[in-house]
Amino acid sequence: MTAYDAVPGLVETKEAYGETTLVVDPARLLEACTYLRDEQGFAFLSDITPADYLGWGSSGVAGYIGTRDGRDINVPGTQGLARLPQPKPKRFSVSYHLLAHERPPRRVRLQVWVDDGEELDSVVPVWPTADWHEREAWDMMGIRFRGHPNLVRILMPEDWEGHPLRKDYPVGGEPVRFSGEE
Amino acid sequence: MALARKLPLISDRPLARAGLNSERVLWPDKGPGVFEREVEKLEDALGLTTVEKAVAWAQAGSMWPDTFGLACCAMEMISIVGSHHDIARFGMERFSSSPRQADLLIVSGRVVHKMAAPLRQVYDQMLEPKWVIAMGACASSGGMFNNYTTLQGVDKIVPVDIHVPGCPPRPEALIEGIIRLHEKIKAGVPPAYQIRGVAE
Amino acid sequence: MATVERPPVVWRGTPPYEGSRIPTPIPTVLQVDPSEHELEDVLTVNFGPNHPSTHGVLRLIVDLDGEHVAGIAAVVGYLHTGFEKTMEQKTWWKCMTYPERIDYVSYLNNGLVFVLAVEKLLGIEVPRKATWMRMCMAEINRLHSHLIWLGTSALEIGAISMLWYAFREREKTVELSELVGGTRMHTRYFQAGGLAEDVPPGFFPVCRDFCRQMRQGIDDYDTILTSNKIWLERTEGIGLLSADDAIALGQSGPVARASGIDWDLRRDQPYLAYDEVDFVVPVYRGGDVYDRYRVHMDEMRQSVRIIEQCLDRLEEMEGEPWIADDRKVVLPPRHELHTSMESLIHHFKIVTEGYRVPEGEVYVTIESPRGELGCYVVSDGGPRPWRVKFRAPSFVALEATATCMRDAAVADLIAIVGSLDGVMGEVDR
Repeated sequence: MTAYDAVPGLVETKEAYGETTLVVDPARLLEACTYLRDEQGFAFLSDITPADYLGWGSSGVAGYIGTRDGRDINVPGTQGLARLPQPKPKRFSVSYHLLAHERPPRRVRLQVWVDDGEELDSVVPVWPTADWHEREAWDMMGIRFRGHPNLVRILMPEDWEGHPLRKDYPVGGEPVRFSGEE
Repeated sequence: MALARKLPLISDRPLARAGLNSERVLWPDKGPGVFEREVEKLEDALGLTTVEKAVAWAQAGSMWPDTFGLACCAMEMISIVGSHHDIARFGMERFSSSPRQADLLIVSGRVVHKMAAPLRQVYDQMLEPKWVIAMGACASSGGMFNNYTTLQGVDKIVPVDIHVPGCPPRPEALIEGIIRLHEKIKAGVPPAYQIRGVAE
Repeated sequence: MATVERPPVVWRGTPPYEGSRIPTPIPTVLQVDPSEHELEDVLTVNFGPNHPSTHGVLRLIVDLDGEHVAGIAAVVGYLHTGFEKTMEQKTWWKCMTYPERIDYVSYLNNGLVFVLAVEKLLGIEVPRKATWMRMCMAEINRLHSHLIWLGTSALEIGAISMLWYAFREREKTVELSELVGGTRMHTRYFQAGGLAEDVPPGFFPVCRDFCRQMRQGIDDYDTILTSNKIWLERTEGIGLLSADDAIALGQSGPVARASGIDWDLRRDQPYLAYDEVDFVVPVYRGGDVYDRYRVHMDEMRQSVRIIEQCLDRLEEMEGEPWIADDRKVVLPPRHELHTSMESLIHHFKIVTEGYRVPEGEVYVTIESPRGELGCYVVSDGGPRPWRVKFRAPSFVALEATATCMRDAAVADLIAIVGSLDGVMGEVDR
């Protein structure tokens, strides 16, 4: 949308399924958020979602082997899948879902990409509700937020080690024992 | 019934163990009297002693559950308090928030590792005799959540008397579980902590 | 349980904007202000995870100066079941059983948001009978949620008999769920493409009877509580939250509407067929517990209106399909498995491997009884979700406890937590 071209640090704009995604440079995240809240009217932060893309498309989907561009009739192993998913720029994406209270409402997804160990600026000064969302992102994915007033674990016990929602963290649980076996 | 005061037992009969030994306090060497001999004969005839039966009837008749509603099963547990599935018929409508005053711990909902310590603390604070009902699939065995955070069955930390299956169990199913617990008690089966510990 | 060193309590910072009551520097923690309270008089009390308030396992660490709340912090996570990680391991069809258990009080709404997200990615068209029936069941579920809220919150404030009144009607709600979906709670009735089963025969007269009884029930609750002097004293002026603070703290649903924000996703961002039904969105300006109560009561009346309109429209749709016809996603009817080879293969592939959802990410929001419920789904084109995140309104509502509990007394603590309508399954996921 041309309306979002003036967002500071804008890298890319994607439109899919009726939703607008603005990919922004992490270094200018705070400026972009302040701009969107003050100039564009997105006073409501709905959600902050981190996602881990480790292993995205590496083994293909459902174990089938495809190629990036689709099935190749000359390469026999690629018959199973139409194509592999598009590769992602970095390991983690953090999506900020914003809402402007207008009729009709405007929604936008602000997305930043970070690698393991990179820090992001906390948007608590912009939207105070981000407090717990960022704590959950730290707890579950291990993404640190600079300037967060209280970055401690929220869902897991305080002395838990590891970040459960990462793809390299095991699901855990126990193997199910059957009464027939010993 | 275990007695806290360890007085020398004149006879091995349950009546003595149940505490009818006031004369023994004054007269440690006194033997059983006529009344006691007659009750012994009666106990032999009935099988289970009358005192224990009476005690079991009292325990089952007004068992106070503890408010330990965790998740979805708690909604069905609250609805047994409602007038449609009335639990006051069993004398159990008084859900006690203080574990010291509760007899029955109905663990209703999924227990996660963070909650396991408070659960054990509540169980420890309850006074004997105490019973535990693991309500629902999650409390019985972890349910549909076999992962890093869910306890695979609450019998890993507390000894459980009755498991009620369901996700969530209907209020009628929970009441069936409670009635079976009452029958267990009246039949003389001791509470779970006396016959088994926690699962491996 | 290992103890973690906590930094000493200190008060610093300036509010985010003029007139804000949000505490600083941590918006979700009210810290003791040494200029207002003598630190020796302050006693830290733990309202532990197991307490008589039936909202589930919420832990509040409260600093009390006599009867007044000087500081408060909420500790959550005692019901964190790892839904999102578990759903990444299951096929899309099996995943449908999980969202309902997240917010176990408005379970059909949770199922609805996930199903809408999956259908948005699939690009599948849902038949209108399914849309209207989904709307009807979602509104019945809204009634279920508000009834449980009313029963338990009034019980905590002291109006004990409300529990029995509210659960009398709640029984009828779950009986309707049982008639339609097969079980009382967690019916898995919403499937990708429509409904799991057709509207059962005999549903319409039972539901209309329910609407009539529900109306009488709401009148009963009004008579008991709305002008009750004790109720007014316990709830008016308690737990104040201004409109600006509410938006800054991300509040939505009844909490926001009681603070004066005229916003309802059913009317402003219509999903299903909410733009074709007539209903009023109640908004009050007080921002206290009493206004949240009034919003809930008015919403119950409006839900009954919506259900009746849905029933009128559904009766015309007798005999129409209740699920989409796309055999790559929807199981074929069982009688076809005997005669058609393709149906058998489709059935086999859907059950064993699961249907594939195209690559992409979507964020779908609906108006759940607690507020804006969102579902963010990322798919990699395969049979399992790559990432599922539920934006739970109760999670955000608990962030507002520190702001609402300024100038509160201990007795008001439970009233305020109750009015924010938190369900811990949703908060912890």
